[in-house]
Amino acid sequence: MSETAGGRDIDTTVDTTQRRTLISGFKAGERFDDRIDTGPEISHANALVVVWRGLKLIAHVPGLFTAKFVFNSAMIVPGLFLAWFGKIITDNVLLQGEIVAEGARFPPHMMPLIRFLEGMGPMEVMLTLTTIYVVGLILIGTRAGEGGHSASTFGGSDPASNAENELSEGWTNSGGLIGLIEYWLSVRLSQRLGNALRTRLFARLTHSPMTTIDENRVGDSLYRVMYDSAITWGMIGSATMYPIFTVVGYVLTLYQLEYTYSDVAPELIWIAWIMLPVVFVVTFPVARLMRRTVHNARAAGAATTNSMEETMANIGAVQALSGMRREKERFAERSAHAFWRGRVNLLTYALMEFLINGARALVALVIAVLVSDQVIDEVLTAGDFVALFGLYMSIAGTASAVGDLWINIQDRIAPARRVFFFIDHESDEERYRGGTLRPIRQGVRMENVDYVYPDGRRALHDINVRLDIGELVAFVGPTGAGKTSLAYLVPAFLRPTRGRVLADGRNLEDVSLDSLRDQIAYVFQEHLLFSESIRDNLLIANPEATEAQMTAALETAACMEFIDDLPAGIDTVLGRSGDTLSVGQQQRLSIARGLVRDTRLLILDEPTAALDPQTENALVQALLRARADRLVVVIAHRLSTIRRADRIVFLDGGRIADIGSHDELMANPDGAYRRFVELQGA
Amino acid sequence: MTDTSSPHEIARALADPTQAPDLGLARMGRTAWKALPFMRPMMWHIIVILSLGFAMGAVVAFATTLGLDLFTNKVLLGDRIQPMQAFLLGLDGSYVVEGVDTDGATAAEATDDANAGLTDDQRRTVRARMLVWFVAMGAFGLVLGTVLRYYGAWVWQNVNQYLRVTMIERLEHLSLRFHSDSRSGDAIYRIIQDSAQIVNLLREAIINPITMVYTLVIALTFIAAFDALLLLGVALVAVPMLVLTVLFTPRIRRRSVASRVAGSNLTSRLQETFAALKVVKASRAERLMLERFDRDSKRALDAALLLRFEMVVLSTLVMFFGGGAVIALEYVMAGWVVEARPTLLGGWAAALLGFTLWNLGAFQAAGERLGASLGTGYGMVRVWCMIQDLFIGLERAFYFLDLEPEIVERDSPVPYPRPVTSVTWQGVNFGYTPEQPVLKDVDLTAEAGEITAIVGATGSGKSTMMSLLLRLYDPDRGAVLVNDADLRDVRIDDIRSNCAIALQKNVLFTGKVADNIGYATGASRLEIEEAARIACADEFIRAMDSGFDTELGERGSKLSSGQRQRLTIARAVIRDTPILILDEPTASLDAETEHRVLANLGEWGADKIVLLITHRLSTIRGADRIAFLEDGRVREVGSHDELMARADGRYREFVQAETVGDATASPSEAPSRDFREDM
Repeated sequence: MSETAGGRDIDTTVDTTQRRTLISGFKAGERFDDRIDTGPEISHANALVVVWRGLKLIAHVPGLFTAKFVFNSAMIVPGLFLAWFGKIITDNVLLQGEIVAEGARFPPHMMPLIRFLEGMGPMEVMLTLTTIYVVGLILIGTRAGEGGHSASTFGGSDPASNAENELSEGWTNSGGLIGLIEYWLSVRLSQRLGNALRTRLFARLTHSPMTTIDENRVGDSLYRVMYDSAITWGMIGSATMYPIFTVVGYVLTLYQLEYTYSDVAPELIWIAWIMLPVVFVVTFPVARLMRRTVHNARAAGAATTNSMEETMANIGAVQALSGMRREKERFAERSAHAFWRGRVNLLTYALMEFLINGARALVALVIAVLVSDQVIDEVLTAGDFVALFGLYMSIAGTASAVGDLWINIQDRIAPARRVFFFIDHESDEERYRGGTLRPIRQGVRMENVDYVYPDGRRALHDINVRLDIGELVAFVGPTGAGKTSLAYLVPAFLRPTRGRVLADGRNLEDVSLDSLRDQIAYVFQEHLLFSESIRDNLLIANPEATEAQMTAALETAACMEFIDDLPAGIDTVLGRSGDTLSVGQQQRLSIARGLVRDTRLLILDEPTAALDPQTENALVQALLRARADRLVVVIAHRLSTIRRADRIVFLDGGRIADIGSHDELMANPDGAYRRFVELQGA
Repeated sequence: MTDTSSPHEIARALADPTQAPDLGLARMGRTAWKALPFMRPMMWHIIVILSLGFAMGAVVAFATTLGLDLFTNKVLLGDRIQPMQAFLLGLDGSYVVEGVDTDGATAAEATDDANAGLTDDQRRTVRARMLVWFVAMGAFGLVLGTVLRYYGAWVWQNVNQYLRVTMIERLEHLSLRFHSDSRSGDAIYRIIQDSAQIVNLLREAIINPITMVYTLVIALTFIAAFDALLLLGVALVAVPMLVLTVLFTPRIRRRSVASRVAGSNLTSRLQETFAALKVVKASRAERLMLERFDRDSKRALDAALLLRFEMVVLSTLVMFFGGGAVIALEYVMAGWVVEARPTLLGGWAAALLGFTLWNLGAFQAAGERLGASLGTGYGMVRVWCMIQDLFIGLERAFYFLDLEPEIVERDSPVPYPRPVTSVTWQGVNFGYTPEQPVLKDVDLTAEAGEITAIVGATGSGKSTMMSLLLRLYDPDRGAVLVNDADLRDVRIDDIRSNCAIALQKNVLFTGKVADNIGYATGASRLEIEEAARIACADEFIRAMDSGFDTELGERGSKLSSGQRQRLTIARAVIRDTPILILDEPTASLDAETEHRVLANLGEWGADKIVLLITHRLSTIRGADRIAFLEDGRVREVGSHDELMARADGRYREFVQAETVGDATASPSEAPSRDFREDM
């Protein structure tokens, strides 16, 4: 089945390839494409911890939070007066009753006004009240038709498209000019809280250890930062201000009612308040289910984002391999799955509401029967029933409004946990807070180093090597020999599982990461450029780089020749991941980015793989010049690069098989290196 | 205007029509029309869901009225019940008001005395039966409501799904030129956030406003019946309200665009940072990235706040007029009540309103309607604001769909030639941008059964030639031919399914090893294993925990680059196509592996067109023909020996550069090696 939209095909066939049943939707344990956070269940205790941690965020915005609280409290005051204006208009204007202060059934705070109005004619009273109304309208939006301010855009049918509204939620009791101020503060409060959480998450994610980076999905990180962290105010507000003001507002209404319904049956009020524990009790068992379905809906949304991100980021490969259909189907499948997860979540909501509304209706039913019995028995009048039942309903309404807030909190625990999960996840920075490493003078030494990957693969075995400042060292060996792992040990991207790595005799375990990595420039095999200008790409590596330094680095990496041809030269903005450049050009820029850091240690992982011989030559020459006061480590396959190194560390199967200069190693007829070189075939 | 952080984005902003918010009513209509096809597959469901919604509303209204009447008048006050009520409650005639044969209304009045009222027991019976109904209907309503909600979500999610999938499909088919110029984060934002607005179109932008207009007309008629002056008052404030809305509309649109652009920029920032996290770490740029993220994040938040604030300011101003009118008119009405002025319709009004003179009831009724009509007015203004954002979002979503792919298939493509004997670049000129030609008059033919190496300095246009062969781009001038067929005349699918390419960038997808090798082919496990063997990948794959079922990390990050490279070669091999393109196939391989891979490939690809892009001398030498590319032109073509024989040949010079400092062997002395013989 396919429809046509203006000549385009709308494919409606790909949304139901996976069988999804209602029951399976509620089960635990679906694995999405997460590898690190694999969707655990959230116990009630965990939930409490998550909420408590959310509440602690208030410390980021004490001023705004207090201001919002003050504004909200202040708005209780006009409510205390305005309710009585209607009564005055009815009794004293329209019905033209005389205002007599003595013995009037008004609460004390109204008395000054009553005394002021005493003796006025109906239209005079009306004029006074109208004036107050107009002033109120301008200041706080009295009689403007709506309580206060709020504004939002339409959301869609998934959590992601509702995130912005959630993040920039603003809602005030006051209208008018004061309301505008309060509105601004409210939105800011919500935004600051959300921003506090998401920048914290972002910072943590950028500090993840290398092993985590390899496992983590771009789309998932994006989803957590953009959409999951948006729930902050929804959770905090629902746990603090909203219930307080709901209850306070209600207590004040009751207080005022005391003056008109002094004979209010107290037992009714108590029955009504029973609603509150009832709401908690009936929803308690479902709360866990709800957290599960919310988590699943969001994890499925993140998986959809992953699929989309991967397709977009690799669009060249997708098109070249004609994988468009496959990618589209994968996206459609994941998107449909996420929507289905959303619907399952909706059912949990419905269940929650069913329980709350059901409980509420049953209690109301009991009340209605009890009270109407008294009416039939002529103990109460029909009017009493209406008054009492109305009163009951409004108290019960407050109780279930508090219940709704409880659901709100439940709804946000799962995303909040998804955020906190990565905030808690191990971070390089956290683990290594040692002292400052002074500028490295001698070099790096590895003693009896083993490295075993978390999944048990052994990458390095018993490595003992000394790398000195002033040397150009080449790491050589067959594919998969552990060259990159070895190089990763130097900037502590990996930590040895046994043995030590020392810089100038200091164990890297004991130095701060900042002071270590500030001294190292690392150029990766993959050429990851940012879609910014070439200049910005260099400045990311070294924000203090001068124009001359940048030019020097670009020249050394043989970038100037193509940069000169670019329309805006060094200020040319690169397309998506630098796609406007050829791979070789991207590689050269990556090298320039490493060089511009101008550090004591320079590590280049296969710097010449995509370079033509001339460029390679020039680069090696430059590296040889640069090594005078530096340690340069090069991982290479090409003989033309390797043989000019001062020393060669030849790795095989995670062990050092040979160390020495090219000539030394070639002199050994049985050497592993010699055999390797001979195979190069030249 | 829109928040743009670089000249690049400004240029893009200008190119994108949705950035200029000239969103007239006609254009809104057109956009809504464009959304129609996505709803059409769900049309019947939409009709069902809307009618069920209305029906349920009507039933609820009816039940509420009936229930209220029964409970207050019958249970509490003890009146006799109507025949229809008796029928519903299953009660006999003793409960029913008498005189049922005549018109019910008059009968009720006429038989006042005859109906002494219900006994206490009867009242309790009525109550009990009512409660049964109440519980039954409540349960039914909750269940039906839940089903409707689920059903409604399903329907609208499907509409959203169609739009999303169509968008991603279009994106996948847009040329790489488009992609290299746009950000992934923008696409993500448009597909997730912007497209979501389609679910609101029908309800919020069409049905809801119609209902509002209807409510407004009713309320205004009612008001006019009290006094025409009231209507005049309302009309008077409606003018400034309308003017304000008109004045604010373009501002809100701009804010909406700015907010969406800022959101999209933030998404891009995140995507780019996370995709290049390694570099961030290695460059110690975490702090810098955090600052930039924080800056972009605050920009997005500011934009969202300003959009909302604009809406709130408008509604505050509108409320000043509306609320002012209510207050002023109440003052006037209070005066009328005091002087007991007749209402407009006087005696006529008795039937319609029940009020001939202004009194308390009239004041309350008119005041309520007045409030309601102005409330509807604000509601309309508010929805209008939100609709602006809705349409901005939809326009941004449709933007992709309106882009015509540069690479278009001919209406009646010619069949792909078989067997493929040659590919030819014929006078090809091409540049990614018009100012910067990459290929200049390239002429080259590669024959089946031959290995053609394309050699040249970085950036000389080697990979671009391959992109043209895959028809990822069309040449600006000249043509690329398979046998004699111009690529522009054959089906795109045919072109790409007849080429296998091992990309320079070693792109892997998350998923299993086997899925990566068999990517988009549906190959069997046996074929996958065989391809892995040819690419010398099987040993390391089998050494992994779960062998071919091992899950690769994000973009294959668990593997070393040499391993990744071999996987991409295996992926090219498994496609078993007449044309095989290897772009720097062995750059990350050690010499031994390289030899084995090339030997395997040589054997396997004996009758294919093999195109080899490489810098490596050891690889080049295995080629039958070498095309030396320089500065976008094919300078020299020939075998290694032929080209080396040219005294001042460019290729010779190029080769010599690689062997600078090579004391043991000079390239010209090295024996030419054909890797086919090497196996």
